[in-house]
This record gives sequence, structure tokens and C-alpha cells, in this order.
Amino acid sequence: MSAAPDRPITLLIAALGGEGGGVLTDWIVKAATHAGYPVQSTSIPGVAQRTGATTYYIEVVPATWRALNGRRPVLSLTPGVGDIDIMAATELLEAGRAIANGFVTRDRTLMIGATGRSYLTTEKMAMGDGRYDRDLLIQAINDNARDNLLIDMETLAKANGTMISSVMLGALAGSGVMPMTADDFEAAIRAEGKAADANLRGFRAGLDAAKARLPVATPEEIKKRSRETLDDLERAATAFPDAAREIVLEGVRRLVAYQSARYARLYLDRLAPFAGGDPILLRETARHLAVRMSFEDVIRVAQAKIAPERFARIAREELKASGEPFVITDFLKPGIDEFCQILPPRLARAILNLSARRGWLGRVYFGMEVNTTSITGFLRFWLLAKLRGWRPHCHRYHEEQKAIEGWLGLIRDAAARSPELAREIAECARLIKGYGDTHARGTANFASIETQVIRPALAGTIPLPLAVDAVASARAAALADPEGESLTRCLAAIAAQTALPTAAE
Amino acid sequence: MAERSFSKEVEALKLGDGETFEGEGILAVTKALLQSGVSYVGGYQGAPVSHLIDVMVDAGDLLDDLGVHLETCTNEASAAAMLGASINYPLRGAVTWKSVVGTNVAADALSNLASPGVIGGAMIVIGEDYGEGASVIQERSYAYAMKCGIWLLDPRPDLPTIVNTVEQGFALSEATHAPVMLELRIRACHVTGEFTTKDNRRGQFSGRNKLSGPPKFDYMRLAHPPVTFVHEKLKAEHRLPAAQAFAREQKLNEVFDGDVSEIGIVVLGGLYNSVVRTLGRIGLADLFGAARIPIYVLNLAYPLVPDEVAQFCAGKRAVLIVEEGNPDYIEQQINTQLRRADIQTQIHGKDCLPAAGEYTQDVLLRGLAAFLTKTRPAGVDADAIAARVETMLAHRPAATKSTGEIPPRPPGFCTGCPERPVFSAVKLMQRELGPTHISTDIGCHSFATLPPFSMGNSILGYGMSLAAAAAVGPNMERRPITVMGDGGFWHNGLITGVASNLFNKGDGVLIVMQNGYTSATGQQFMPSSKDSYAASGQTMDIEQTLRTFGVKWLRKVRTYNVATMLKTLKEAMQTAERGLKVIIADGECQLARQRRVRVEDAEKLKRGERVTRARYGVDDEICTGDHSCMRLSGCPSLTVKPSPDPLRTDPVATVIESCVGCGLCGEVAHAAVLCPSFYRAEIIRNATAWDRFLFAMRRGFLGLFGIRLPQAEPALAPIPALARANTTLDARTTTPT
Repeated sequence: MSAAPDRPITLLIAALGGEGGGVLTDWIVKAATHAGYPVQSTSIPGVAQRTGATTYYIEVVPATWRALNGRRPVLSLTPGVGDIDIMAATELLEAGRAIANGFVTRDRTLMIGATGRSYLTTEKMAMGDGRYDRDLLIQAINDNARDNLLIDMETLAKANGTMISSVMLGALAGSGVMPMTADDFEAAIRAEGKAADANLRGFRAGLDAAKARLPVATPEEIKKRSRETLDDLERAATAFPDAAREIVLEGVRRLVAYQSARYARLYLDRLAPFAGGDPILLRETARHLAVRMSFEDVIRVAQAKIAPERFARIAREELKASGEPFVITDFLKPGIDEFCQILPPRLARAILNLSARRGWLGRVYFGMEVNTTSITGFLRFWLLAKLRGWRPHCHRYHEEQKAIEGWLGLIRDAAARSPELAREIAECARLIKGYGDTHARGTANFASIETQVIRPALAGTIPLPLAVDAVASARAAALADPEGESLTRCLAAIAAQTALPTAAE
Repeated sequence: MAERSFSKEVEALKLGDGETFEGEGILAVTKALLQSGVSYVGGYQGAPVSHLIDVMVDAGDLLDDLGVHLETCTNEASAAAMLGASINYPLRGAVTWKSVVGTNVAADALSNLASPGVIGGAMIVIGEDYGEGASVIQERSYAYAMKCGIWLLDPRPDLPTIVNTVEQGFALSEATHAPVMLELRIRACHVTGEFTTKDNRRGQFSGRNKLSGPPKFDYMRLAHPPVTFVHEKLKAEHRLPAAQAFAREQKLNEVFDGDVSEIGIVVLGGLYNSVVRTLGRIGLADLFGAARIPIYVLNLAYPLVPDEVAQFCAGKRAVLIVEEGNPDYIEQQINTQLRRADIQTQIHGKDCLPAAGEYTQDVLLRGLAAFLTKTRPAGVDADAIAARVETMLAHRPAATKSTGEIPPRPPGFCTGCPERPVFSAVKLMQRELGPTHISTDIGCHSFATLPPFSMGNSILGYGMSLAAAAAVGPNMERRPITVMGDGGFWHNGLITGVASNLFNKGDGVLIVMQNGYTSATGQQFMPSSKDSYAASGQTMDIEQTLRTFGVKWLRKVRTYNVATMLKTLKEAMQTAERGLKVIIADGECQLARQRRVRVEDAEKLKRGERVTRARYGVDDEICTGDHSCMRLSGCPSLTVKPSPDPLRTDPVATVIESCVGCGLCGEVAHAAVLCPSFYRAEIIRNATAWDRFLFAMRRGFLGLFGIRLPQAEPALAPIPALARANTTLDARTTTPT
């Protein structure tokens, strides 16, 4: 080589602490050393090793020591904004973070990114859907990087019985930006020794993926659809407009399995008034109505716990059992509420009233760990599931039907004024979900929004455009924190806003 | 014991003359200590210097051979006090810790060491935990060097330079009778590189060649009046000039010349590479460090050498001082020295560079551009450079906007951490009894200050939490809760917190996390670990210690038992009994446990012994996507996935493969009455005949209901007495493949 390079090739790796970024860095350093290139790596592991975001920084001089003829390069320990040739991110949000920090530029940076997500606690703890916008991240990569290689490394790693780091190493090798050859990288893996075969498999998978340059696939969402049901029901369901057909069909099938064909017909009857109106309203009402009508009572839980697919799934996918004995233990803690769900309404009300007076509600629970694989444990769920036919005579059933009718009534009234408002009200069904406290909280939140926002809106005390906004923001607030602080604040703000015109008069 | 095995690195410590060491900066320092002939080494673990001690712990035979005494100290004060061996004896020794916090803890010993001074070279290797990746308050350790008269080495982050500085450091210490500090920043500790090694040296005296006895009594060796007044004079009038003379003669500091000689840059050794790279990016240096602007590199950060400074500055219009953090100690000193020497060079520093924060490349780019724009040296187009810098950084605002505001990903409790359930219980307790003041501490448990727990009102230092709540309790309606790890308990908390509380008849609730190691720093042993570096079977028991101290209300609760923990917490909060109430939250660090259990289980499996493995799961049909469970856990293995229900949009909970089966999911679902989605699935390998019989019975019974459990492997022949029963049962089950 004649002229010495004027700068090194820079590589910044963004990773999650404790997940193999250090090993990846070691491999790269070893590969460069093996090939005779000056190389330096630094890292900031510290406490970030405990699952936090961290980075590893590597500089490789694209001229061998021999070519440099005794000259010693001064390499940087810190990555420079605007000075990165390869940005390797083992997780999609971390790729986004690297962009936000300025390390990815159009003139130089190749982004090599794993498309998998490891969700943050803040994303997971949201009461609804707190996941960061995936499309935004992909768009940002497309907009900011010179080029990118986005690869589903998690799947490749799993398929080859290895970790993301070896797949990433393969992708780095395949990118062609580094001066080292695939042989140099493989030598580094072999030198490390541990699990070399699996790592080499992962490496080659990454190498091939990088060379193939497959387009980014959006992760497949596996939806479990219900089985087909009676012909006349299927026909009735498919008669609904295009926009809602799939949903209505799924709803009907689910309700047959949940209760009966008659119950599914009730579902269709309830939807009928919306069939000729706003198609989106119809679809969303159909979606929420099916969920609400298949409410999670103890009978449904019991059904789900002894579903044959469940045993097979747990044994094969989770335990990788091939005949070894195994045990499934379910954690249940029913309270007085749950018992009353399956009693006749009058008896249930009497018991609930008594319990409320004695202060037992929310305090008396019957904690149990049921071995569902045992004969007695299984029978417990089996008997409960058998109560399905009795369900229409139960307290919970009555309560739910009343609530559903009330909610549908609100949607119908609203639809007559504004489909937007009706959609927002339909969407409020998202608030009512879960068990025990969660269910009670959701129901109470819905009730507050109904009395303080929806009813006044329908009565005309809140102007329409404001009302649509108010229902939407109250719903978002109800899902913002479990303590209900946001909802209280939001309702107060709505009240203040709607009071203004009156005050001005 | 520790998180990492250092067997490979230990081999590198054994290299001899002319061989090549490849590895991290902190390990290069470790090798340099052995090449310098140390007789003793000690320290307290903490990033970024933990590996120095960790690798030595693994190098028992080598240290034995060299006669090096190693102590894994209980805190930095005990490490600093070890250097007392060098006051009277020609023993070279080194200690290490994380700074500035460790230096704070060591401060008393350091002052009393520096005053009489040393005969044997005494070196403190400090990991300056500053900037990206740091976990402590951002302060400079520099102040300690100045006030104590300890020389501060800050070598260029280049392995040969670092190693040479260690060796020179011992000579400097002995030549001036003062201890020295070797400062390495986070990245310098972890920088990789190579250097040519020398043989390790045995100390003049050591475990292999012991001293015959103490010297003749000499009051000057004591940090005690009246000689402390003499020491003060000695430091200022003899040791300081001696250090400056040594630095000059041995050329500790370096000057790299450049053609733009009317200006110059003075930089701390540790920041040299960043400055050169930044100059390279604006066309003023090449890849090999040849810069157009002259650079004076301070590998000795304290003391400065006034005649060197004067020589560098004389004839220059302006000089830029590059030192991170606040205050600008070097800028102030150089200003004073130039005034005294009546040199009119303009001094720039914090007017071009920020007073706070790490000097990353973007910061230095702007700083250098500002310096050049102010000074406009001939032959350099300052405006063009400033414009170039702005172009380099111009993309940043748009890039930041394009991703939206990316939420932080702080570190957190590991999967299966025994400390997480304690905070689930505290959260539930506060839900019932109302919020209370929580005084928290240093250690893994401080992750509870982050979501989903977000609890803690103060952190006052390692082992300080109980003392930090001493004046809160008496002024608050509700009892404060104090959290302390077992690491913090032994580091400081027992005396500073517990003894003081008992002595003052205090009240309050103390939770001691007993996980058996200093887990945050890599699971090193500490006094109540089952073993120690020195011997197995250490028995300093926290419970016994507390009883001996006079704690009356004391409960030990298995951490994973959330319901019991909740009950115990409520009792501690509500009991009329006054005095300190201690809950020992007992649960082995899961990282350490997994490392142990995995090996044990593999061996058991090999031997054909019964092994069970549990993991937890969520029934996604039953989960409604409210995520209450996440708000009480935050476990990395408990996460979300798209709902498989075509009618639902909110993601549902799921337990991923990394689950270690700690049981918290089930405990929390129970204690908080969450939902019936959680289950535990447990597989039995090398099952006993009874296990197999029972399972066959169950399989047969469930088969009647159309449930097909996977069939037993044919290899596992049933015992004869049960053979018939099995055959009949098997006839009714088919094995899905």
C-alpha cells in the first residue's frame, strides 16, 4: 500500500447490556488482529450490564501494520457525531437512539440493524398499547443512513441455536465495509472456542442475509381464529358490509364457542341497526361487542385452562417435552365477586350486599394453586367449564348484558348526531377489561366518562366537535395511569372548558 | 465466584520479557503493577476498575509465587489504609477503587497517609467514573490530589504509555516520599491494545522475603501533632518541588510540536486521543498524531511543572486548556504561573469549552472552532473550519426529530432478581397504607428508583441510607423505609446506619437485601458471602450481627414470597413497638445462582439424577392486556407481544425463553389479585418411577377428555410392577409428533 489512510474505519455497536456485545467486539478485534490491521475497541459496560442500553466502539485502520511500516496510529476512544462508518444495532429502538444521538449520517453511515424489539419497562407497563412506533424507526433509518441492512437476526439466531452477536458479526462481514475477510472473522470465532460451531452457523446466516439484502419484513402477527360454525350463521355474518365482514364472522364464531348459536344470533341482532351506517363505526362496534359479549368470567377461564391445544403448546413449545413428566400449576385467587358471578342474580346480590356491609369485598380471597395436569385439578376446571349452559342464569351475565345494552344505546344515540362521536364512544369499550380490580377500575372509569362527558354531549351541553375530542382524550387519560390521576385532571379540564361559554354569557 | 472468569487474563499476567500483552487497559495496569514489584495489592470493586482485583483473585498461584499479598477490602477506607505499610517500609503497594465516590470514602486515610508520606512506592489506581456510562455523581478527583499532596498521573490512553506511567509512578512516589494516584477514565480502563511485557518482579521485601521487624521509633512517621506541622512544610517545600523535578527529568509530560506555533493546546493525557482525532477531522492532524498546532500533554496532571508550562507558552499568543469538568483547576494554576512569570500568553479554556460534561468529539469540535475563531492563527482558515464543524453537526437536530423522542433504557433488575419482589411488596404496601419516605442506597436495589417502581426519596451514598433517614422519621407521620444491600451493609451501613440508629434510640424500618454478593459490581464476595477470597466458609452473619448489636424486631423473609413480605412490611409499619425494625430480605443473586445451578443441574443430569426445571407462562386468551403485572414487576422476561386475538388490539403479556422460573409472576398475581393468566410449567428430567407412574395415570385420565399429553419416551422402561398399568393407559393415548 502506498499512501497511508487518513482515517480509520469506525464502527459503533449499540446493544443491551449483558447480551453479548462484548463478545461481538472481541471477535471484531481478534479478526482485525488476525488480519494484521491496527484496531482498538472501547466500551462503557459498568452498571449498564444489567439490561441497560450500552455501546461498544471500534476503530480499524484499513492498512496493515506492515504497510504502516512502524508508524503508530492514534485512535479515538469516543465515537464522533457524524464520524461513523458502520452503526450496528442489535435492537431496533437502539438503532433509533443512535440516530437521535447523531451517529448516523447520509454521507457515511451504513446501518446494520436487527429488527427485533426488546420492549422497555415503560412500553410494557402502559395500560393499553405503549409500544414505540416501529414504522417511525424504520423510516428514520431509511432517511438518515447512507444505506442499511435490516435483518431479523433474532429469528436467524434462534434457527441456528446461537445468539444475535454471531449473526451480527456475519452481517458485518457481509457488508464489505471492513477490510477483514470472512475467513478472518471465522478464525476469530474459532479462537474464542466456546460454542464455536453454533456461532459459525450464526455467522454464516448473517453473512448470507447481508449479501442477499432481503427487504425488511414487518413481523408477522399470529392471530388465532375461531373455528367455522353453522352455515346460516356464517351466511348471516358474511352479509355484513366488506369493512366489517371479517370481524363479524370472527365474532359470531367466537360467541358460538363461548355460549351458543342463539347467543351468536343475539350478537348479529345487536349489530343489525349499525349495518347500514358508517362502516368504520360498524366494524369497531362489531369488534368491541364481540369482546364484551365474551366477557371473562370464571367459566371462560376454566374453558381456556383445559383447552387441549394449551397442554400441547406448553409441553412442546415451552417445556420442549418429549415424554418427560410435567406439571402445570395455575394461579387463581377468586374473591366473593367471582363466586357470585355464577350464582342467580338475586342470591348473588344478597351475598354481595352482605359482603359489602361486612367489608369483605376486596379483602376476602381464596388463593389457590391448581395443578391442572392432576386429576382433581383438571376436574375442577372441567366442572366449572361445564357451567356454560347455566351462564345465562348467572348474575354476571345479567350485569354484562345490561352494561352492553347501555353502551350500545349510547352509540346509537351518538350515531344519529355524529359518526365520529359514536366511534369514540364505541372505542371506550377498551377501558373495560381484565379481572377483579382492573375490571372494576375500568368499569368505574367508563361510568365517569359516560356521566361527565358522553351524556352531556348527547344532551347537547358540550358542542359536538369539542365532545368528540373530549371523549377521546378522556379515554386516553383513563389508560394513562392506574391511579386515575390523569383521568381526574382530564375530566376537570373538560368541565372547565365546557363551562366557559356559559360564563361568558 | 465473580461474574467473569479471568483464567485467560491470568495467563497474560505471567508474560515475560519481550512478549506481547493483548487486552484491556485496566489489565495492562495490573500487569504493570507486577512488573513494578509490588508487595501488596488491595481495593474495593466498582466500575471501571473491578477487573484489577477480580483478575488478581483468580491469579492466586502467581501472586503466591511473587509473594504479593492481596486483600479484597470491605471498603475504600480499608484499602487506602493498607497503603500505611509503605509509610515505614520499602514495600511497594497499590490499591484501587471507583472514584470520586471511593476517594471520598478513603479520604480520612488518604490525608493521614499523605502527611507523613511514604518510603515504599504507594499507588492508588482510580477509575474516574465520569461521563457516558458513569453511575456516580459527577465530580473531579483532582481536588484530592491538590489538597493532600498526592501526585496525579493521567496517562495518554495508549497501553505502552499507561504501563510506563505505572512504572514511573512508583519511582516518582519513592523519589518524593508521596503517594501517587493513577487516574483512568471509563473508556481507558476498557480500551484494548498491546504492549511489550517485562518479567514480573518480586518486591525487595514481600511474603517471600519478609521484613525482620519494625524500624527504630520515629515520630515523623505518625500523622500526629506536632509533626503534622512539619509534614505540611515538607509537602510544600520539598516533596512538591521534588515531584516537579522528577517529572522534568523523566519527561513524564510530552510536547508534540506543530507548525502553527503562535498558539498551542495543553491537554490532560487522558483526553489526548480525543483532541488529536478532533484536530484530524478539521484537517489539522493526521492519523498518526502529527498535528499542526503544538500540543503539551500532561501525563502528570498534578502537580504542574511551572517551567515546562512557561516554556511551552512563551512566544505563543494563546493557549487552549482542555480539562473536563469543574472547577477548572489547571486553567487557574496556569494563569497564576504565567502571571508570576510575567508571560502574556492568553489562556483559553472554559470560555471555549463547556464547564460541565464529557468532552466528546462534538463538544471538542465546537470548542476548537471557537478557540481558532478567537485567535485566528496565520495559515489556518478559522472561518472555514468553523463552517466545516457546523456542517459536520448540522444533521443532528433533524435526525433527533426523525426518530421521535426515544425513551431512555436505563439498567434494571435482571431476570429473576431476588430484589424485585421486595419492591413489588413495597408498592402493594404503599397502595394499602399510603406512600412513605423511602431512603435508598447504592447497589442493584437502586434500580427500584426506575419504572415500574419509581420509588426512593434520597440516595446519600453507599451504606448511608439508614443514616440519611435519621432526621426524617422524627419529623414525619409515617415511618420511613430504608433500603440497603448486604454490600452496603458491610461497606458502611452497619456502623454509620445501624449502630447510630440504635445508639440514638431511633425508629424506622430497614430492609437489608441479602443476596450474598456485591452484585452490581460483578458478584464479588463480601463478609456475609458463603465464602471469601481468602478462605471458604466465612461466617459473618447479618442476622446474628444485628442481634448482637441489639436489634429486637428482626424478621428474615424469603424475597420471592411477596405475600409474606407484604404482611411483614405492614407489621413493621404499623406495630406500636418503637425501635429499629429490620427485615432481612433473603434471596441469592440470580446471576450467581444461575451460574451455580446450571452447572449443578448439568452434572445431575449426567449422573442420571432427577432434575426439575420450571418456567412461567401467560395464557394469552385469558390475558386482556391491562399489564398490571408489568407495573408490579418489570422483569425482562415478562414482556408483551401482539394479541393473538383478532378482535383485540392491545398487546398481551408473555413470558419469553429467558425466564428462570423465579416465581414472582405467580406470587404477584396472587398477592395483588391480578388475573388468572399466569401458570407455572415444570418439567421433570430423569424422572423417578413414581413420577412416571403418576404422569402415566394423569395422561390416561386426561386422555378420556381428549387431552393428549406427550407420551413417555420408549427408552424409559417402566418398572415391572407398573408395566401393565402403563400399557393399558398408553393404548388410549396417541402421541402427537
